[in-house]
Amino acid sequence: MTTPDTGERRRSSDARPPITDLMDPATVQVIVDDAWTALVGEDEPLIPLPGQLPADVLSAWVDVVGPWTGSVVLTTGAQTAAELTRALLGETAPELLEYEDVADAFGEIANVVGGNVKAALPGPSGLSLPEVGDAPAVRNPEDLLRVDVLWRGQPLSISVQGALPPLPVQ
Amino acid sequence: MRALVIDDSRAMRRIVSSILNGLGYEVRDAGHGREGLDVLDEGWIPDLVCVDWNMPVMDGLQFVSAVRSNPAWRRVTIMMVTSESEHTQIVKALAAGAHEYVIKPFTADAIRDKLALLGLLPEEAVL
Repeated sequence: MTTPDTGERRRSSDARPPITDLMDPATVQVIVDDAWTALVGEDEPLIPLPGQLPADVLSAWVDVVGPWTGSVVLTTGAQTAAELTRALLGETAPELLEYEDVADAFGEIANVVGGNVKAALPGPSGLSLPEVGDAPAVRNPEDLLRVDVLWRGQPLSISVQGALPPLPVQ
Repeated sequence: MRALVIDDSRAMRRIVSSILNGLGYEVRDAGHGREGLDVLDEGWIPDLVCVDWNMPVMDGLQFVSAVRSNPAWRRVTIMMVTSESEHTQIVKALAAGAHEYVIKPFTADAIRDKLALLGLLPEEAVL
């Protein structure tokens, strides 16, 4: 006799904890602070305060695929991203920054932060190459962890956001 | 001494190259593993390769395997410099033939310390 598929087994195996069950904002803050100190320098630390992002923003992100699947997204104003690029490159920065320079540098910061977020999550997981542009949409507000900071007085947000929509309500 | 820096991020190539230049290395760079192999194929054999893991075209792990499969390049020391920090990934890289592993973010001192461990600090950097 076959048992009718009620979906119970599938739903229980599909259980996927939201990011807030796997990580807390303090962990993300430490990861970002460490990346900042090493890449940008320790003279201009991040201040853990929210700020109003300008209209002209740029995002850089990497995707994590594994037991938890989502994106680690950094978003800041386009001008701040350019300043970040100069800070990252230091004396090797070109005189005239092009968009590719900013995308490359901001993407690399996202890559470093994302790689360390991935390491703090249950694995094994894969990490994508960084992308830069308009941030991926938040698909499940319950599967989102966001940290807001200021750098040189300008806002920067770091979101660890799930890629999957909420499961249907039973 | 010669070093080859392989990373798809120009920013990271500049940062690592700058550190190695400062230590006295003659440095070339490449944007992915295939470009790195092209440099070796030219006959420019480095003492040290610093290679990222996640790159387009040919990733760092494939590069390490390719270098280790060619006896002519057996003296090349390979250090992974990457944000891949999972234990299993580190073991995989070392098993493939990498000698050392530096996790991003790193400091210039971290690179210097690893090179000292590997016996690859140029004389001028030791003095």
